[in-house]
Amino acid sequence: MKLVKAIVRPNKVDEVKDALAAYNVGGMTVTEVRGHGRQRGHSAVYRGREYEVSLLPKMKIEAVVPDEMVEEVIDAIMSTARTGEIGDGRVFVIPVEESRNIRTGELDAV
Amino acid sequence: MTTEQPAADVSVGEPSLAEILSAARDEYRAEIRLVRGGAQAAKDYSTRIDGLLQRIHAEAASQTETPVALVAIGGYGRRHLCLHSDIDLLILFDGPIAAAEERFVKALLHPLWDLGFEVGHQVRQLSELEQAETDNPEFLVAVVDSRFLAGDARVCARFDTLIHGPESVWRQPTVEALVGLFAERHHHFNATIYQLEPDVKEAPGALRDVVAIRALVALTQPGTARSVPTTSGRLDEALDEAEEFFLRIRSLLHLQHRRNLNTLSHDDQEAVAERFGSPGGEARGQVEALMSVYFHHTRIIARILAAAITEANPPIGPGTTKPVGDNIRASRDGIGFVDTVRASLQPRTWLHAFQAAIDEGCPVSPEALAFIERHSDRYTSEEFFPGTSERDLFLHLLTPKPGLYERLSEMHESGLLGRMFPEFRKIYCRVIRDFYHKYTADEHTLLTIRNLSELADPNATRRRRFARVLAELRHPELIVLALLFHDVGKWTNRNHAEESVRMAEGPLRRLQVPPESIRTVEFLIRHHLQMSVAAFRRDSEDPEVARQLARLVGTEDRLKMLCLLTLADIQAVGPDTLTPWKEDLLWRLYVDTYNRITLGYGDEVIASGQSSIAQLRAHRPPEISERQVSDFLEGLPQRYLRLVGPGTVYAHIRLSRDLEPDEVRLTLDKHDDVCGLSVVTKDRPRIFSNVCGVLSYFGMDILRGQAMSNRQNVVIDLFRFVDADRFLELNESGPSELTRLLQDVVTGNVELTAMLKGRDAAARAQRGKIRVDSLVHFDHHYSDRYTVVEIGGANQWGLLYRISRVISQHGCDIDLVLISTEGDRAIDVFHLTRNGAKLSRDMEQDLRADLEQAVGAADEAR
Repeated sequence: MKLVKAIVRPNKVDEVKDALAAYNVGGMTVTEVRGHGRQRGHSAVYRGREYEVSLLPKMKIEAVVPDEMVEEVIDAIMSTARTGEIGDGRVFVIPVEESRNIRTGELDAV
Repeated sequence: MTTEQPAADVSVGEPSLAEILSAARDEYRAEIRLVRGGAQAAKDYSTRIDGLLQRIHAEAASQTETPVALVAIGGYGRRHLCLHSDIDLLILFDGPIAAAEERFVKALLHPLWDLGFEVGHQVRQLSELEQAETDNPEFLVAVVDSRFLAGDARVCARFDTLIHGPESVWRQPTVEALVGLFAERHHHFNATIYQLEPDVKEAPGALRDVVAIRALVALTQPGTARSVPTTSGRLDEALDEAEEFFLRIRSLLHLQHRRNLNTLSHDDQEAVAERFGSPGGEARGQVEALMSVYFHHTRIIARILAAAITEANPPIGPGTTKPVGDNIRASRDGIGFVDTVRASLQPRTWLHAFQAAIDEGCPVSPEALAFIERHSDRYTSEEFFPGTSERDLFLHLLTPKPGLYERLSEMHESGLLGRMFPEFRKIYCRVIRDFYHKYTADEHTLLTIRNLSELADPNATRRRRFARVLAELRHPELIVLALLFHDVGKWTNRNHAEESVRMAEGPLRRLQVPPESIRTVEFLIRHHLQMSVAAFRRDSEDPEVARQLARLVGTEDRLKMLCLLTLADIQAVGPDTLTPWKEDLLWRLYVDTYNRITLGYGDEVIASGQSSIAQLRAHRPPEISERQVSDFLEGLPQRYLRLVGPGTVYAHIRLSRDLEPDEVRLTLDKHDDVCGLSVVTKDRPRIFSNVCGVLSYFGMDILRGQAMSNRQNVVIDLFRFVDADRFLELNESGPSELTRLLQDVVTGNVELTAMLKGRDAAARAQRGKIRVDSLVHFDHHYSDRYTVVEIGGANQWGLLYRISRVISQHGCDIDLVLISTEGDRAIDVFHLTRNGAKLSRDMEQDLRADLEQAVGAADEAR
């Protein structure tokens, strides 16, 4: 199994969630995050005063998926989260060693 | 062994502990299924558990020679054990605790753990309890309900004397612990009883508050008749009824979930309502009936608890009263009426009591609220607002400030708010079923007002950037008015924003709110979801999002109001809904939109084909031609049509017709204490500067100023100012003097600089005393056509004149101007060109230096 971690624009979360649901991705975690990639934020002006907006608001979506589904899930995220502009985000894929259900203690197959 | 053991013989053939427990639980479950899992069932079950513990104790007793008592505390002490409740026990030794005593404790606890009980056990030596455990508030409160179970009764009797005796040192710390825990627990629930999915044990007004009331009364009035005031029947009956209701629900939850879960979720509400046989054909109706009973009890309990806490901690100071208004006095209990007969006949005066309570920083007294509750039903909504003075009082009361939420809540609880505005009563305890909302629609509404009022608290440290925006608004009460009605449309499942606008029409008409304010309130209600949609559902980095929002709001004031309303609305959905992340997104959208409105509006001009021109042409007065409408509007910024209504447009068209080159035409009007001036003339150098100078000469404090021009080279300057010295009011010829001087200055017949010289010297002296950061910022990004200069500084006499004069001296054309004054601070935005083009960097450098000198920024930089 793999942990797929995607950093996307906040307004793209619902679309990505719906796309993943179509692939029967059961559970996922969505977190409000701030960060920057290559764009490194920018400066903004309010009433004549400049201030740096170095960390931009993004959403992090995490889902654990079977190995054979990883490519499809990545494609689904990429196609729904992409606008073509700078700041579309990133997708990371991380191997999962073990997964347990806290309530039952059940060990999932990985 | 010195225990006086209650009967609990263990003999062969007796059922096992597990069998006893199983049988006890089966009996309890049977009662719960019949919806009889209330106090009696809990008591019966507790008694069965007592037997179980006595038997375990008997088996463990041989482990120690030290006198020991087993004491039930907390909910178990009260005999309120629910099906899956924890068991709270105190094991009390009259002697040192050594290895034998530890074996005894193990022998006692292990069987309980084996049976699957969650045991909250406390082990103490009796001598330790001679001092109150002030660092353990939960324990202090738990031992209030202590009950001997097994062991040495004399140990328990001495314990009882220490804790509950007349000389007990535990009493006052326990009262303080109760009040402290109560405050902490209520804070966790955002201090409101109106929880959509309430925890029937912990939520404000629920089971634990009933217990707290009983404990407070027992601790503060030992051995006397209890006298906590309640407007809903006798104390014991009110408490018993509520307690029985909560216990029965709780038992159903334990039965359903097979664990110690006390949250009445939406799904549980349907199941419980069905079990109770609540009236209503459908699940939704049944749930509403169930929850209305729930809120009925919680309201009563909350009120009794507040009274009990006041009784336990009476306000310090003499019990004197003082008059704080006509027929209104302040006393230790809060604000009340002096002559209740008179008050009962004058409902329009009741608002004064609430205003006085806000001014005095105290509540309206329980007696006054009970009085209002008894009398309000006799009056119609119109009778509360017979004239504009009551309207003004109500709008003044709605100004966001600390205490407003509490007073509105009192109005709501006493039924006054619903009586004044039957539209609001439509959402009384209205349950909104979704994933996010935590409170009923009426409480959500009041919480939005609390959130906004928190921004007005000068001692608050959170969200200061939004607080500054609120402080800049001239009519912040309009946001509160909009918030009050923004969700009244939720009584139906239709588009609630539009329904809310429709329903707000009646209250706004009865209050005789001025038309311009009505438009603002209706705008805020209609679009109260738009900014959160734009901030959280759209791409915040897409400039089009801010552009669309800028078009929607039109002006800075509306943007500020919508932003603050959105912030307050999101925060009132649930305690964790407004995260710093969301707050940031909202602020970014606000800033982008603000910049779009103030810096980027110059490029969006009215074009010939647009629908607003067609509408104005279609509805024009007979003496104005279609051509005149088009000629006047074309080339003006779109902003113009967002600022003025059709009547003002036609008035400006009339002023602009057949205008001679040297002619200045103007209209002057006054709304409340603010004067409005429209100046229409042919474009020429220094017009804006000269108008500012003339207004300054007459001592006017300019709040807003805007300058724009159309394709016909007609200039329209719009000003709003305060005539602080009442020059226009006290001098009959004032308006004509102002017009004459304006005409003379514009045509060059009078040299204004010389006239202002003396005053300018005084202003320079004053400038040093006002400490406001000054700035001059040039922007070449927002507009394709103009160099935009933002200038901020201390709001002083003649500042605008000085700035605009400097700009003109540099040969720049002031094409558009936007001026706002916010208290001590002035924010001016000038759209400039020179010879029809943006300013070069060199020009900018020269102009910046002189502007900084004019506003004092250069001085501060040094």
